[in-house]
Amino acid sequence: MTARNTIPRRRPEWLAPAVLILPAFAVVFTIAAYSAFSLLQLSTVKLTFGEPFRNAETVGLQNYQWLLTNQHSTFWATLRVTVTYLLGTLIPELLLGFAIALLLNRKMRGNSLFTAVLVIPIVLMPSMVGLIGRLYFSYDGLVNYFFDILTGIRHNWYGKDLALLAVILVDVWEWTPFFILILLAGLQTLPVEPFEAARVDGASRWQSFTLITLPLMLPLVLTTLILRFMDVLRLFDVIFVMFAGGPGTTTTTLPLYVYRTTLVQRDVGRGSAASVMLIVIIVSLTVILIKARERIKFEA
Amino acid sequence: MKPNLRSITGSRLLDILTIFVVLVFLFPYLFMVSSAFKSRLETFAYPPIFWGFTPTLEHFENIFNDMHILFYMKNSTIIAVCSTLLTILISIPATYSFARFRFRNKEGIAYGFLFLQMVPGISIVFALFFIARSLDLFDTHIFLIVVYLLWNVPYAIWMMRGFVEGIPVELEESAMVDGASRFKAFRLITLPLMAGGVAATAILIFIGVWNEFSLAFFLTSTNARTMPTTIAFFMTHSGIKWGPMFATATIGTLPVVIFALIVRRYFISALTFGAVKG
Repeated sequence: MTARNTIPRRRPEWLAPAVLILPAFAVVFTIAAYSAFSLLQLSTVKLTFGEPFRNAETVGLQNYQWLLTNQHSTFWATLRVTVTYLLGTLIPELLLGFAIALLLNRKMRGNSLFTAVLVIPIVLMPSMVGLIGRLYFSYDGLVNYFFDILTGIRHNWYGKDLALLAVILVDVWEWTPFFILILLAGLQTLPVEPFEAARVDGASRWQSFTLITLPLMLPLVLTTLILRFMDVLRLFDVIFVMFAGGPGTTTTTLPLYVYRTTLVQRDVGRGSAASVMLIVIIVSLTVILIKARERIKFEA
Repeated sequence: MKPNLRSITGSRLLDILTIFVVLVFLFPYLFMVSSAFKSRLETFAYPPIFWGFTPTLEHFENIFNDMHILFYMKNSTIIAVCSTLLTILISIPATYSFARFRFRNKEGIAYGFLFLQMVPGISIVFALFFIARSLDLFDTHIFLIVVYLLWNVPYAIWMMRGFVEGIPVELEESAMVDGASRFKAFRLITLPLMAGGVAATAILIFIGVWNEFSLAFFLTSTNARTMPTTIAFFMTHSGIKWGPMFATATIGTLPVVIFALIVRRYFISALTFGAVKG
């Protein structure tokens, strides 16, 4: 019998892709499973931060119940701050970003230099951005200086009324370029034909913008919003360094709430329960948004 | 044809507006860098001093000599470089698998990775704190290097998958027809072609780790402390030491800004997990 006659033993088809994915899968899911297990366990105990884990006392779901129903819990107030922060950052960033992307989407010298400059705020170290924001928004800071010139009034940005706005403005400065760069890339790859046809038909520039540009850009706008949504919802460093959630609870978004419950109030159990809820909120809302986006894509 | 005067002045105005807008975004950064060279009194001056001050290097001397900033830069570099290399090493085979093979539940698994990427660092950092303590790995480089993989590997897979899918599979197939094994075809043809994308991904992961705050802050104390967490040293009881802080921010952000400008071509894909091509 020669080798030619033997039927080659074929390896099953799934083997190669499975082996290739295995290292990534093993590493990522081990870390995730270990953390998830530990987090869920911590969320069901009563434990003061700093004490060893053996002092933990199992309390079941009481931590969750306390956060959601107890009158002293600030969880719902935190959610309100979080929603304000989300809307306060995403809406201006989208509108400004779109407008500036349109502005940059013209033939003009220096355009590539401008987009290079816009990369800078996005990649700066967030903790440093927070600290710089703190100085710029101080009473004698840069922001008040320009307010002084324009309106003759200086504001107390560290106070209860304006702290959240200050944090929002820092984010708008940092992340509007994100919208600009992505939407500009989208504008530059729009097909030319519909615009030419519209011009032949005598459409005004405004009409071709609302009837052609906007619908064609919608999927990209939604993708960008979803990505930013995820990031804003989990943002911690900038707010932590600027105001650490204060004054009072005025800048305490969900991630700050997790930190304050665990380390300031030293309640590991409730902090972990809040963490679990943060993860559930972020993942489920993002899944819903991705699904909704896919539906719109099909209809368009 | 007569040039349309109104539209020319109109577009001039828009040009000026564009330049103004871009300067608004650049200005806070420039002011930060220039403040690193101001004396203490000049930093606090009201109205702020924009130019005409005598540059001083005292804050840079201070952070290098007294605050040992090089130690924290070394930690940041070790952690960022190791975590990035490990990520790329683990992710390339997985990426290839997602891009080139067909198997059951492929997109489901890909989204599984993506969902893990969404988990906020702050939400598991205290669980990781207890884990680190129980493994005796608190305040070590290796713990941060490994923990960052949870976010880096899914990111790298999503990022690089687009680059591999952009390389025509026919190139590999023709090499295989010529007798090359699948691995050889990958090594000789696909790998060189995706090198640019891999480099860009690596740089962006490096930037992410270099800048990361919450995990580094709560999982280290003295030994493995990184650059972004040094901000705590500037917040003293007698107020914030702004000069050294600006100097540190200038030095800490410099490599990242340079890197980001190098991979600008890939930046749009990078920001969108490869969902949008720039």
